[in-house]
Amino acid sequence: MIPPELGLFAAIFGVFVTIFIYSFLWKENPLSRAVEHLFIGLAAVFTLGGMYDAAVTQAYWGTNRIVEGNFIWLIPILISLMYFFFFSKKYFFLYRYPVAIVVGIMAGMMICGMIQSNFLVQIQSTVTLPLVGEGVWDGWPPQGLDSIITIIGVITALSFFFFTWEHKGALGISTRIGRYFLMATFGAAYGGTVMARMSLFIGRLRFLYETSYEDWFWAYYLIPIAVICVIIVALWERSKPTTTPPTPETRPTTKGKSEE
Amino acid sequence: MALSIARIDRRYLYILLFILVSIPLLNPLKLPVPISELTTNVYDPTAALPAGSIVISSFDFGPSTIPENRPQAKAHLFHCKQLGLKVVATAFWVSGAPIGNDVLQEVYGSDFPNISEYGESIVYLGYIPGGEVGMQTFGDDTWQAKGIDHYGTAVGDLPLMQECQSAADFDLWAEWTSGTPGEQQVIQFVQGRHGGPSAVPIVVGSTAVSVPGMMPFYMAGQIIGILNGLAGAGEYESLLNVAYGYPFEQGPGLDAQSVAHVLIIIFVIMGNIGYAMSKYGGGEGS
Repeated sequence: MIPPELGLFAAIFGVFVTIFIYSFLWKENPLSRAVEHLFIGLAAVFTLGGMYDAAVTQAYWGTNRIVEGNFIWLIPILISLMYFFFFSKKYFFLYRYPVAIVVGIMAGMMICGMIQSNFLVQIQSTVTLPLVGEGVWDGWPPQGLDSIITIIGVITALSFFFFTWEHKGALGISTRIGRYFLMATFGAAYGGTVMARMSLFIGRLRFLYETSYEDWFWAYYLIPIAVICVIIVALWERSKPTTTPPTPETRPTTKGKSEE
Repeated sequence: MALSIARIDRRYLYILLFILVSIPLLNPLKLPVPISELTTNVYDPTAALPAGSIVISSFDFGPSTIPENRPQAKAHLFHCKQLGLKVVATAFWVSGAPIGNDVLQEVYGSDFPNISEYGESIVYLGYIPGGEVGMQTFGDDTWQAKGIDHYGTAVGDLPLMQECQSAADFDLWAEWTSGTPGEQQVIQFVQGRHGGPSAVPIVVGSTAVSVPGMMPFYMAGQIIGILNGLAGAGEYESLLNVAYGYPFEQGPGLDAQSVAHVLIIIFVIMGNIGYAMSKYGGGEGS
């Protein structure tokens, strides 16, 4: 996983930032904050650089589109440059045009796409669930039982969001069943979340335990050093005099300013 | 008692988790790996493709989900290579582009892209900007979405790209995703515009957190198979291990995950017992 040209440095750096960021679980400290900021900064720069490279170098200069006289490709450049009018008071209104174009394009695309794939196809697949036919009730669990549970789940869960009438009587029973279906869905989502977070944690642990460099350096050698660094910094921060935030009574009033 | 269960310092739980997860990683338990239907439905349709079919492999994830998405993509690419399928790899996430290059080098050799197959049976287009718009353009007109590949070669100079000009040419779309744009955008802007699931079948490798949200699409046939997080990757590796001797690298990770899940179930039961005792047992917390 580590690029050979970075080798030892990447392994050492990886161990320290991993321990520092996980030290947040014990207590927030300057090292965990520093790594958090480093991650955000690197992600921002990487995204900016990658998008610049893709949009400008590859879409324009790399393919010689404009050099070959395909000037239509200049239009997106001009539109995107209009974003910079955000910083001008006089021409701020021009900044709204690229925003409006992006919103319009996305709204148009999403409405068509969503209605087709998230709405119509889902309804179609629900109403065509097999209840009778060859093999539908064979085996265990039979496909027909899945269909019945799905149909009950769809109807009752939808009834939960029906607010025209009070949830009493038959509607009350339906909404109660619907709520159980929703709870089961949230439970499944929670289970998936736990599974995903554990996978990421296991991935980091495997990095710590399995990363090596030229058979003499193993990443886990550095774990105690990184932990000691965290403890020292935590103790140092604890020894600093604490500054009590001003209470609401002593806080300077902004009443006069807001009135201005 | 009830209160003490409910008020266990979370940091002790973290330490317990760290220790118990570390044990199977350092000393694998080799627990059995049952293959789920979701994974089989990725493996079988891929294996059923005739040699020479075009597979789109899209790296739409970032470094934060590498432990889950990367082994999925790597195993599937290996499978495609073994089957003689043609792969057009790409990324609609800027952070996915270098990861894709890395994975391709692992599967096709460290000399990638300077290999004889490059341009014939494998192409890496790299990052395609524009998110959903880029994805739609890629489905409508592949060349228009990306004029050059990840290494600066014009797509017109790559023989494989002569056969891959729009979604009509895609035989399978393998989406490795952890967010947006991801599988839903492929469904909306590629599959939905080009003939539906039968024309552009989609298999997805996703983080486990997203899989419950994908199930309606799976049930409707819009997605034909899903690799569910690390477990899905491990299951796919296990199938490849039997068929081709592919290294079963995720074994220790799956053991660790099983241990972690058992521990979390115990935590949940303990928490509920503590809550019930404090509420109904007349404890301090009631």
